[in-house]
Amino acid sequence: MSLQNDKFLNISDTISNSYLETTQKKVMGYYCTYIPEELFHAAKLFPYRIRSTGNKDTDLADIYMVRFTCSYVRSTLHLALQGVYDFLDGFVVCNSCDHSRRMFELFDLKVFNRESFTKKVPRFYLALPHIITEEGFGWYKKEVEEFKEELEKSYNINEITNRDLIDSINVYNENRRLLREIHNLRILDNPKISGSEALQISMANSSVPKEIANKELERILQILKDSEGIKTSNKRILLVGSIVDNINFTQLVESSGAIIVSDFLCFGTRNFQDDVKITSENNPLEDITKRLYYRMSCPRMMDDHERRLEFLKNEIKRANIDGVLLQRINNCDLHGCDNMLYEHELKDLDIPVFNIDRESFQADTTRLQTRIEAFLEMIT
Amino acid sequence: MVNRLELENKIIPYKMLLEAITTTHELIERILPEQGIPSLKYGLKYLTDALQDQIDKAGEGLPVIGHHFSFQTEYLYAFDCVPICIEAVSYLMAALLPEGSEPYYDLITHWGHPFHTCSSQKGTMGMTLDGLFQFDAIVTPTAPCDNTYASYPYFQYKEGIPLITPDLPFLKEEKSYDYYAKQIQLSLNDLGKIIKQEPNYEKLKNHIEIENRIYKTQMDIFELKKAIPCPVENMFNAMAAAASIFLSGRPEKEYFYDDMLALAQKRYKNKEHHGGEERIRSIWPYMIIFFDLAISEWLDRELGMSILFDIFNYNFADPIDTSNLETMFYGMAKKSMEAPMVKQSAEFYYPFIDECVRLAKEFSADCFIFTSHIGCKQFGSIPQILREALRDEVGIPMLLIDVDVGDARFASDKVIREKIKIFAQTLL
Repeated sequence: MSLQNDKFLNISDTISNSYLETTQKKVMGYYCTYIPEELFHAAKLFPYRIRSTGNKDTDLADIYMVRFTCSYVRSTLHLALQGVYDFLDGFVVCNSCDHSRRMFELFDLKVFNRESFTKKVPRFYLALPHIITEEGFGWYKKEVEEFKEELEKSYNINEITNRDLIDSINVYNENRRLLREIHNLRILDNPKISGSEALQISMANSSVPKEIANKELERILQILKDSEGIKTSNKRILLVGSIVDNINFTQLVESSGAIIVSDFLCFGTRNFQDDVKITSENNPLEDITKRLYYRMSCPRMMDDHERRLEFLKNEIKRANIDGVLLQRINNCDLHGCDNMLYEHELKDLDIPVFNIDRESFQADTTRLQTRIEAFLEMIT
Repeated sequence: MVNRLELENKIIPYKMLLEAITTTHELIERILPEQGIPSLKYGLKYLTDALQDQIDKAGEGLPVIGHHFSFQTEYLYAFDCVPICIEAVSYLMAALLPEGSEPYYDLITHWGHPFHTCSSQKGTMGMTLDGLFQFDAIVTPTAPCDNTYASYPYFQYKEGIPLITPDLPFLKEEKSYDYYAKQIQLSLNDLGKIIKQEPNYEKLKNHIEIENRIYKTQMDIFELKKAIPCPVENMFNAMAAAASIFLSGRPEKEYFYDDMLALAQKRYKNKEHHGGEERIRSIWPYMIIFFDLAISEWLDRELGMSILFDIFNYNFADPIDTSNLETMFYGMAKKSMEAPMVKQSAEFYYPFIDECVRLAKEFSADCFIFTSHIGCKQFGSIPQILREALRDEVGIPMLLIDVDVGDARFASDKVIREKIKIFAQTLL
């Protein structure tokens, strides 16, 4: 059996899916993985990560966002203005980056305020510090506690109990364990899964209820264990940088003579490396917040570059990487500057590295492909 | 043994700026008539004094501390040090040097810095890469934008400069002021350890009190701008922006504002406009064009267009209560969170829109001109909403110009002036 045309992976191709269409739960949309998903689950909500997969236009969003902004965020706003995200029953934004954080106001004024849209959608904002310190943790802990109260109030929930939270932590830890197991099969000498398939799994995983996802991941894991693996002499690539929510890009890389055996993406390893460690039955919310705050960071955390670099160096060894492909969506300052540092640091270690910019949707394909092929040819 | 010249050379761009200012000032003094662009005349005079003083201090071996513009310069006067504002240097160079900061933008871009990241930091990064700055430490709040979080780590990881990052939270409310007050205090302590000095809070207090006194003059000038014609020339905005950094917490800033207030009062009394006739009253809710300061004068004289204020000239924080350390740090936090760009960035943008509408009405504005700066993604979702609010609630139009306010190669002065000229024709 292969994963080609697998029903679970296919969920990643579209925004909506059968679980969304039939769920009795309220759907909570979010952009960034720095939000406490376990809390939504414990509140019997259905967390759904907003993406723009398959979309090629930003026309409607371009009215409200200048051209120096991120095409991924503009693309999601375009879809939302078309009504594609009308299924949302809640919307949470955190200050992850300047592009996505302003979606709070634009969804508020322009998406949920459309004449044709009558549903009342509660909106929430989480303020996350930009450095990792004890004081910062204290700030975020309070923020998440207040957020819990807001959720209870907005959705008429009597109380989200510690038991609810612990049960949800267990479901999410299991989910992350399964994703890590799949990842371990990806970094083998004969990888059992391509980078594009791994991305599909990750995107589908964020679009369905976690109980369903866990069952599907078990099934996929079994298929992968039983498979022979990909015998290829293609260059083994570590993909790093801005959000990738579209397999067009990974397919372009993999059709250029590479196999993406690992990544450092938020639809990827960054989201499943760390588990919630339950330290006490009395305060699981604090444990959830600890994981969120101290987890492997993205460049929005301005004082954590060294730890991110260390991860890359370890992963390069662990996954037997031939070269590192750094990419950023145009206008993404955070990944752009982090990649700038990686490029020099990895070159100093004699690790082949290539740094490109791209749009969220597939554009400029031939130029990109030529550059990627040239990079792969240079790797000895 | 390190000699004085070597120590001064830790801040070579300041020497370049001093030379540029001295030459420009000389030209102004000798060539322009007595009444010609007084704000430039006053501003450059006091800037010269301040720059020379900082070069002298660097020569004495005082530590050179880089800082973000939203970590107020005067807070660093808790130490004997040479404060250098990362962003202000890039843009003052852009304003005064023939090639601006462009050679340094190119240096750091060539090193890998993304083209779309803010040129205000790009310039000083390039100068540091080129060895023109040798910082002993750098302080930046985690604000106001991605450029800060993204660009400042360069100083730490590439240049090995200790980086102190007081965390400035989102949303201006009591808990935020308390949190940030502690962050400022912790940061000053950390900085003290690095440069081996104890923070001198009495000295800090004195510098803050200078700023407190200036506040009243600032508000008086601001109030006078409501008059028609506006009695304050456009160039004042640029000079005030420079003063807010280079003269911050210093007596020269008081002198500058006193001179400007006297001038504005005189013009107000005589109903005088610097350009002769005021035809259009504009508000620039964001930045002016730093690489083309002459545009201010051109607007005054050629189009009769007043720039009532830009972002550096309408965000005023209340004076800081210096009665004890607790109130002082609380006030410092509040002031930081009211700083231009931080204020708008540390809250949702509804208050910004409301404020623009209010200012448009109070100051009888005919139009807004919004410079959409390539680096500023945190403002990238605002222009259209603002345009709609101004149209619906005030009935005035807004011109949106895509620019890099510190780099003429993105949109040249010619292109910008042409756009404004055409826009102005629709208003007259």
